[in-house]
Amino acid sequence: MSAAGRIVIEGIGMVGSFGCGVSDFSRALADGGSRPASLAVSTGSGPIEIPAHLADTSPLSEFVPARTLRRIDRFSRLALLGSFLALRDAGLADTERRRLGLIVASGHGATGITYAFLESFIKDGDICASPTHFANSVHNSAAANISILSGIAGPCLTVSQFHLSVPSALATALRWLAEGRADRVLFAAVEELSELIGYAWYRRRGGAKSVPMTPLRTAEETAVPAEGAACLLLSRAEAARGGYCALGEAVTGSRPDDGFPLPDAGLLVLSADGRKDAGRRFAALARNARIACYTPLYGSMPAGPAFDLAAAALILKGGRIFPSPGDAALDFPATVPAGGELLGAPRVSCLTLGDGATFGLATLENP
Amino acid sequence: MTDAPVPITGMGCICAAGRTLPGCMESLFRGARAPAPPVRFASNHPVRYPVFEVPGFEGPPGLLRTSALGLHAAREALEDAGLDRETLRGMRVGVCVGTTVGCVLSDEGFCREHHAGRDPDMASFRRILHSNPAEAIAREFALSGPLQTVVNACSSGTDAVGIAGSWIRADLCDAAIAGGADELGRITYIGFISLMITDESPCKPFDRDRKGLNLGEGAAMLVLESERSRRRREKRARSFLLGYGSAGDAYHLTAPRPDGAGLRNAVAEALSSGGLTAGAIAFVNAHGTGTPDNDRVESRVLGDLLPGVPYHSTKGYTGHALGAAGAIEAVFTASCLARGMIPANAGFETPDPEIANPPVREATAVSGNAALSESLAFGGNNSVIVLGKG
Repeated sequence: MSAAGRIVIEGIGMVGSFGCGVSDFSRALADGGSRPASLAVSTGSGPIEIPAHLADTSPLSEFVPARTLRRIDRFSRLALLGSFLALRDAGLADTERRRLGLIVASGHGATGITYAFLESFIKDGDICASPTHFANSVHNSAAANISILSGIAGPCLTVSQFHLSVPSALATALRWLAEGRADRVLFAAVEELSELIGYAWYRRRGGAKSVPMTPLRTAEETAVPAEGAACLLLSRAEAARGGYCALGEAVTGSRPDDGFPLPDAGLLVLSADGRKDAGRRFAALARNARIACYTPLYGSMPAGPAFDLAAAALILKGGRIFPSPGDAALDFPATVPAGGELLGAPRVSCLTLGDGATFGLATLENP
Repeated sequence: MTDAPVPITGMGCICAAGRTLPGCMESLFRGARAPAPPVRFASNHPVRYPVFEVPGFEGPPGLLRTSALGLHAAREALEDAGLDRETLRGMRVGVCVGTTVGCVLSDEGFCREHHAGRDPDMASFRRILHSNPAEAIAREFALSGPLQTVVNACSSGTDAVGIAGSWIRADLCDAAIAGGADELGRITYIGFISLMITDESPCKPFDRDRKGLNLGEGAAMLVLESERSRRRREKRARSFLLGYGSAGDAYHLTAPRPDGAGLRNAVAEALSSGGLTAGAIAFVNAHGTGTPDNDRVESRVLGDLLPGVPYHSTKGYTGHALGAAGAIEAVFTASCLARGMIPANAGFETPDPEIANPPVREATAVSGNAALSESLAFGGNNSVIVLGKG
């Protein structure tokens, strides 16, 4: 691909249980360190605690006045913090935002404020429904808040394709840039771990104690629910100043019965997240591929594949593969060990599996 | 840069105006509309606001009504395009669907149980996750191309059509089923009432005495197809997607920007991407919800950018079907272009002194080969498509 047609990751903004910003994320990747906290969930048997990767949004006060923040729900706060960090990481000035587009990807959306809206009329009757909660519960409210508070007036889109939200939305970001609809696209993947989602996890796994996530052992269910935001500032190469790496392609689709050829990549990053059913499918597709998996650092959430993209960008920038945290990877014998380097093409592909036979694949490379 | 026209070879629609696209068009030109208080659900709100429901429609029990409506419209569109399951098997076909409620984890019964301290069953959650509108259509027709569910509030359907056009131009697929689907339910109904932008009487877009919108529901789907595929099948295009533009207001969660800057940018992009000027536009299907703010801003922008071009809102016949609205209005626009006639702007009686260029009062003949359909959304998104005569 010619330089003129290339898309570059110019900035990264990360928020998760590992901390806040690229440096915290890099440190977690290098050290393999990120410990889940716990989330209180109301159940029919009383409140219980479940292990959960939770994020701290308090650094947002650096970017948004406290008075404004009062009206903004947690889902939007996560998205806002990741977005501001990505814009700052790229050094993008306010004056350069004229041809900036915005795409938000989320599998669950703003479930906390949605539940709060329902509670407002469940408690006190339909006439007492909260208009503020309703306005914030609309699926694209995070995109709206980002655009309002960071002055993005270009094309604006929110995508919700559950586990495929990230690759699906990323494909559209690439089209916008290729078509010249925008010079840059702020791509924000975000997930909130509300009590509602926490309850769904409780019903899936019961009150399981915290165990380390071992997504590469496919016989075990070790997923830990999570929240966070992974934001990328994507730029046309001619507009970018430096950056991490190039973004080659992003596709979604349905896998034919006989599987599909994996890309010729130096590394395949799997979004396997400790859910047994998904783990088996990953093993069937990529058992012998040279793989890495970083989900134990940030947990299980539909926006997770965007965290993989950020990890892949840091691998390509640094030239060294971070070790996959978790226990021995018996089901994936070609897992790259600590200190491994990219072999062959300077290219990392990130594979996501959705429901049924659906998949998403994004490829990053060093030109 | 001018985009290549994308053939539209099939269209389908279901809404309060009818269960097929021809049925809807017949209803629009007959001037029929019958908003009424909701039948499918109850509310203890003291005012019974009228809505536009699709009467008698029931989907399969394991699927959300939204996705069932989407499937209904997709079947009509595929039949119209002459694409049966056998033909589809040999093609790369994507699905891009706009919705507002189709993938929201908000089941009221579940939340009531949880709120009451009980352990609600997860069946309703699983049903929602199983009902992602794009995935439901892809699953039903065994499609293997790109998938996307757009949740851009009220512009979702328009955006989905624009995005699918981009897929075709980039050769990501041979054809795409694109459109929007949304069901009407208690949560949306109560939410819009809480915002105080719903009218207690049938909505009156662009009228001086307009008080707000009436909610609606439905779905519309378009089959967008590559020119290569269309020629190979020797299928005549019903219409063409000529241009698409979208831009944000960066202003407010629920109110349009008073100067209409985002809408102006979206119209400009849609025209330029289609290689068109304002003079080429035969008519506009406006967003025209009937809310005081929307209609004021939208009519002002139309008066400035497309002076003298006839326009109408069709929400007086369908209600505001939210994520489906843009797609429903897209198939109406294409059908009106083919017919050379647009129906009256239902509900418009008294001119508003603030609106210098009123909409059409009666069915009006239009001439030209291109028309524009616009959608304005919560969150400040503005999306516009330009459709061409087939």
